[in-house]
Amino acid sequence: MPLIAFYILGAIVALSAVLVVAARNPVHSVLWLICAFFTSAGLLVLIGAEFLAMLLVVVYVGAVAVLFLFVVMMLDVDFVELKQGFQNYVVSGAAIALILFAEIGVIAASIGPGSNATMDPSPGADTNAEAIGAVLYTDYLLLFQLAGLILLIAMIGAIVLTLRGRPRAKRQNIAEQTGRKRKDAVELRDVRPGEGV
Amino acid sequence: MNLITDLQNSAPEAALAIIGLAAVLIGAIVGEGSRLLIRTIAVAALAGAAVLAAQQYGSGRLEAFGALYVATPFVAFAKIGLYALAAISLLVSGKSLKEAAVDRYEYPLLILFAALGGGVMLSANSLMTLYLGVETLSLPSYVLAAFRRDHVRSAEAGLKYFVLGALASGLLLYGCSLVYGFTGSASYDVIAEADLSIGLTFGMVLIIIGLAFKASAAPLHVWTPDVYAGAPTPVVTFFATAPKLAAVAVFANVMFSAFNGHETDWSPIIAIIAALSMIIGSLGALTQSSLKRLLAYSSIANVGFALIGLAAGVEVGASAILVYMAIYVVGTLGLFVGLLTIRKDGEPLDTIDDLNGLAKAKPLVAFGMTVLIFSVAGIPPAAGFWGKLAVFQAGLEADLLWLVLVGVVASVISLGYYLRVVWAMMVKPSDSTLDRSDWVEVAAVVGASVAVFPVLTITIQSLLDAAASATLG
Amino acid sequence: MISQEAIALIIVFAPAIAAAIAGLGQRVLGDRGAMAVTTAVVVTAALLAAYQFLAHVFGDHEGGAHGHTVVIANWLSVGNFIADWAVRIDTLSVVMMFVVTSVSALVHIYSISYMEHDPHRARFFAYLSLFTFAMLMLVTADNFIQMFFGWEGVGLASYLLIGFWYKKPSANSAAIKAFVVNRVGDFGFALGIMAIVLVVQAPAEMLDGAGAVSAAYLQQLGVAEFSSLRFETAFAVIEQNALVQPVGFSGALPIQDVALDFLGLHVDALELIGVLLFIGAMGKSAQFILHTWLPDAMEGPTPVSALIHAATMVTAGVFLVCRASYLYEHTVFAANMITIIGAITCFFAATVGLAQNDIKRVVAYSTCSQLGYMFFAAGIGAYQAAMFHLFTHAFFKALLFLSAGAVIHGLHDEQDMRKMGGLRRKMPIAWAMMLIGTLALTGVGIPAVEGLHIGFAGFFSKDAIIESAYASPDQFGPMAFWLGVGAALLTSFYSWRLMIMTFHGPTRAKQEYYDHAHDAPWIMTIPLALLAVGAVFAGGVFYDAFVEHYQAEFWGDAIYTASENHVLHDRHYVPTWVLIAPAAAWITGLVLAIIFYGLLPRIPPAIGESGGPLHSFLSRKWYFDEIYNFVFVRGAALLGDLFWKVGDKTLIDGGGPNAAAAISKATGSGVSRLHTGYLFHYALVILLTVVAFGAVVIWSMVS
Repeated sequence: MPLIAFYILGAIVALSAVLVVAARNPVHSVLWLICAFFTSAGLLVLIGAEFLAMLLVVVYVGAVAVLFLFVVMMLDVDFVELKQGFQNYVVSGAAIALILFAEIGVIAASIGPGSNATMDPSPGADTNAEAIGAVLYTDYLLLFQLAGLILLIAMIGAIVLTLRGRPRAKRQNIAEQTGRKRKDAVELRDVRPGEGV
Repeated sequence: MNLITDLQNSAPEAALAIIGLAAVLIGAIVGEGSRLLIRTIAVAALAGAAVLAAQQYGSGRLEAFGALYVATPFVAFAKIGLYALAAISLLVSGKSLKEAAVDRYEYPLLILFAALGGGVMLSANSLMTLYLGVETLSLPSYVLAAFRRDHVRSAEAGLKYFVLGALASGLLLYGCSLVYGFTGSASYDVIAEADLSIGLTFGMVLIIIGLAFKASAAPLHVWTPDVYAGAPTPVVTFFATAPKLAAVAVFANVMFSAFNGHETDWSPIIAIIAALSMIIGSLGALTQSSLKRLLAYSSIANVGFALIGLAAGVEVGASAILVYMAIYVVGTLGLFVGLLTIRKDGEPLDTIDDLNGLAKAKPLVAFGMTVLIFSVAGIPPAAGFWGKLAVFQAGLEADLLWLVLVGVVASVISLGYYLRVVWAMMVKPSDSTLDRSDWVEVAAVVGASVAVFPVLTITIQSLLDAAASATLG
Repeated sequence: MISQEAIALIIVFAPAIAAAIAGLGQRVLGDRGAMAVTTAVVVTAALLAAYQFLAHVFGDHEGGAHGHTVVIANWLSVGNFIADWAVRIDTLSVVMMFVVTSVSALVHIYSISYMEHDPHRARFFAYLSLFTFAMLMLVTADNFIQMFFGWEGVGLASYLLIGFWYKKPSANSAAIKAFVVNRVGDFGFALGIMAIVLVVQAPAEMLDGAGAVSAAYLQQLGVAEFSSLRFETAFAVIEQNALVQPVGFSGALPIQDVALDFLGLHVDALELIGVLLFIGAMGKSAQFILHTWLPDAMEGPTPVSALIHAATMVTAGVFLVCRASYLYEHTVFAANMITIIGAITCFFAATVGLAQNDIKRVVAYSTCSQLGYMFFAAGIGAYQAAMFHLFTHAFFKALLFLSAGAVIHGLHDEQDMRKMGGLRRKMPIAWAMMLIGTLALTGVGIPAVEGLHIGFAGFFSKDAIIESAYASPDQFGPMAFWLGVGAALLTSFYSWRLMIMTFHGPTRAKQEYYDHAHDAPWIMTIPLALLAVGAVFAGGVFYDAFVEHYQAEFWGDAIYTASENHVLHDRHYVPTWVLIAPAAAWITGLVLAIIFYGLLPRIPPAIGESGGPLHSFLSRKWYFDEIYNFVFVRGAALLGDLFWKVGDKTLIDGGGPNAAAAISKATGSGVSRLHTGYLFHYALVILLTVVAFGAVVIWSMVS
């Protein structure tokens, strides 16, 4: 039963991945991507990694793919124009892809029954969320912190490249706003007729 | 193994990370007014990290974080150079940043984090640490390349670097996962013991390709000319020195420690990469008129020379790589700073013709750059010659005669463009007036030229000894 | 009292320091300073050398019998290939040091006045001192390599000084000619040194495990250290006929039995070495075949001609042969070759001297001829006589040159004797000096009277040589004797011709020149006077020491004579006519000269103008220059053109560097064009790399 499910899900993942590239409408591409994410989550569930499946759905589908969707819709990229030169490279590209697949095929074929990699979704714990949590702050503290640092750098980078201080833009200054006194704001003038201020 | 010991054993990186995060906070709170302060902090932190790395060099093999992090004298040697070069390239770039209108407080932070990433990937003893280190180095690099975001070539450089870098990262990661899958571990120590299999070899090839991309070795060098030409000169000064040294050293470290048992499999591939780098670098530079592009090709060729040492294997090649790269990056640093010093109306000049008559206008800079070019080209008695000699000797000892011959031919070809630059500076008449140079930059050029000749030439034996003990330890 | 060694060191190195100071510091010192420094230093060296020499001659001969060496620094030390910077002090070097420094000092003094108006005086004096140093290095060497250093050093100094007036094309080409012709000889010398190193190797059984020479072998040879380059070792091996094992030989042989293959010939090793070294000597001493550079060298300033091309450098070849007396005593062919070449040169140069009109060229050919005397003396085994003639010749030939210089100087730089005449009244001092020089050169003295030592310097030395030649049992002795006597006649003729044409008869000079002709200033006269003293007395005073009673004690082990060689002794028993023959020769020459140039002065120009074959044969110097020009110079030029235009420019440049540069440039622009700037091209390259490398490793793993 799990094997049948694996093949079905695997086929769907592969198909949606192809369609991500092949779809003419970019919005459809992103939707096929979401489909691929979902089915990948299903594959993860199959091997017992429920926590990772959850994360995939929440982060990739919920945040990343939706963001992609926004961007694609907002930018209105003319993908048809981008794909104009596609025919020129289709032969060479296909040839490279074919050889690459063949090579990967040879490697896959070399995996015998006594493969080194063993799978244990939740080693030394009841659930895999617990197992991940247990190693994340102990054995893999360095990696976890580094990953955090990379995200920080990405953030700084995004700010550097996009944030523009606009000297003319009007901003709210709360301290100034709350510190305002009546006498700063209003001045009483006794205006005589015919003379102006 | 508690946290304190871990942090002590990884002191340079730990210190850099903590100071870097603190500096981010300072910058976020104070704003643009903290530019000078943060730059000073970053320079001090990098210099301090270099000192801490020197301590690591003296203390043998240090492990931290469950052997995810290991500092051997080999990587400590490279880290000293990495941090020191990062500090210097930051120190000298002050004026040119201001002139290029990119003097922002994030700049030193990004350099600092990039250097940190270089240190992490050098000290990696696991493919995971390696990958995260590579990314920590790469991300700030992409941003730095595009730092002058209003400048179309800079933005283009950043984008190209980012896209190709992502591709290379993907290949590296795929390679790591293959190796992990076929050996059951990401740890270098376990991988080194593993039996040979097709999956492991293919993964190794992908890792080689990913690392060669970082080191800008041909044919993975394709990004280099465009990025060097487009990115702001202070940024390229950094790219061409600290990360270059780190990338070549980490390349060597991964090959020597994780894949040491499979030398017969990777050595021919590295040899091909080295030969292609030397040939493409030397030939490509011949027809360039842009100095930064020329230096980009020159750096490709020089990485090729260093990789001769890698192809020669750990016993004979390791120290040669360190010596070669150490001498090369000092020379390159000086050359790029030399480019920084030459401005006309606040704009850095770029083509070789812009150097015409430099000997008259700025004799000190011209003379220093000539010495540096001689060193980079490997003309005795400058130190670069000894570096080249070391890698050639390593190649010969490993019976890679054909590779050494390619190297010699490439050296000869490379003289064609190096001497063109000297000719422009020394002989051709000038037709324009140049801006005054910042004294820090001139001092750096002169200092680097004094370093490559005579200081490094005289102390070459102790440098060789130091590098040799770094590989034995 | 400073030691003998210290004196020798000062003598040798003081000129080097002076040359450096004058050469490098001429801007600081100025011309006068440079002249003062060099002259003072060289005069000091000369005084020390004179003291050393006189102490040696008149002092305790026992002390000087054994030469010794002062090692200054180790130069080369590769196995048995050891050479030091050293000063060897023995009779040969002491004599040479005296000759070199004294003539050099006098030439320095003379030049102060002679070069008075030259703007580059400092350079000139620096060169002179440099030459002096190189010559001293040559004569004090204790090994072949240092000797070669000095040999090349004097060659360089000679080149620089011949071409001193480098703006004159003739001076430049003369300098180049001298250098190139000397190179032919130097090549022989170098080959000779190599042959020595090749042959003089300790036998394998005399080596210990580490390759060092055993103590027993060293003791047998009587040397402290085995070095094929050192005279000490090489000569001891030859003298004792010790066992050697030349490079490439499988067994040990006595050195006199060693034979080598050279140019397809199987020749005796010692003969080969002897011939090769003599070829070097031929070049430096301008012997027949390699003599052509010497007359042209007269393009240099006259003091240079006196110092280098008369008194010192050109005698280096004679010195070399005498130094290698150990070798030549054991050779037959090489010694005979020296005799023949020397005798031919001595006669040939004298014949050419007959028809020359340039006053300096006459003296130059005379030098060439006198060197021939020295060589054939050495060839027949009378090394002492050769050295004696070298010694006396240095004085009188320098005197002749400097006197000629005084004449030229006083006559508005005129060198053609046909435009002189009648100068005795204008230049009495120069005339007197030239007369003394001529008397010494022609060998005027009272012969054949036992115990009566009266005569000019040349008389003693030249007659000793001619007598030895007659007494020699050597098969070429008689030939040398007759050629020597004939040359003496010719010498006398051309010398007196020179005297008469220059100083006597009516003047043929331009009237204004003649009117302004004057004797040299006192500063030029002093060296002339001192040299004249030498030309008069050097023969008689030192006769006993050099070639007579004390010669064995005097020379000690510096000159080796085999036990069967007693030619110096035998010359006392020659018939009286032999003793008188040289005198008859010079008197005949004198009479002929007076007849042709004094009494019938119309005849010689008539002969010259008639252009008879004999006269043109002589005045064109036996057509040597023409033949060399045709065979070697044009041949070399054609060959060079072939190599240059076809070989180098077309084949090597065209196929090599230029082609490589063109290819590099073409591929270079191709490579840059590959970097299109398109991202997808770059990505494609990366992926292609992945595929290619992947395919390679998978292929290698699968197969």
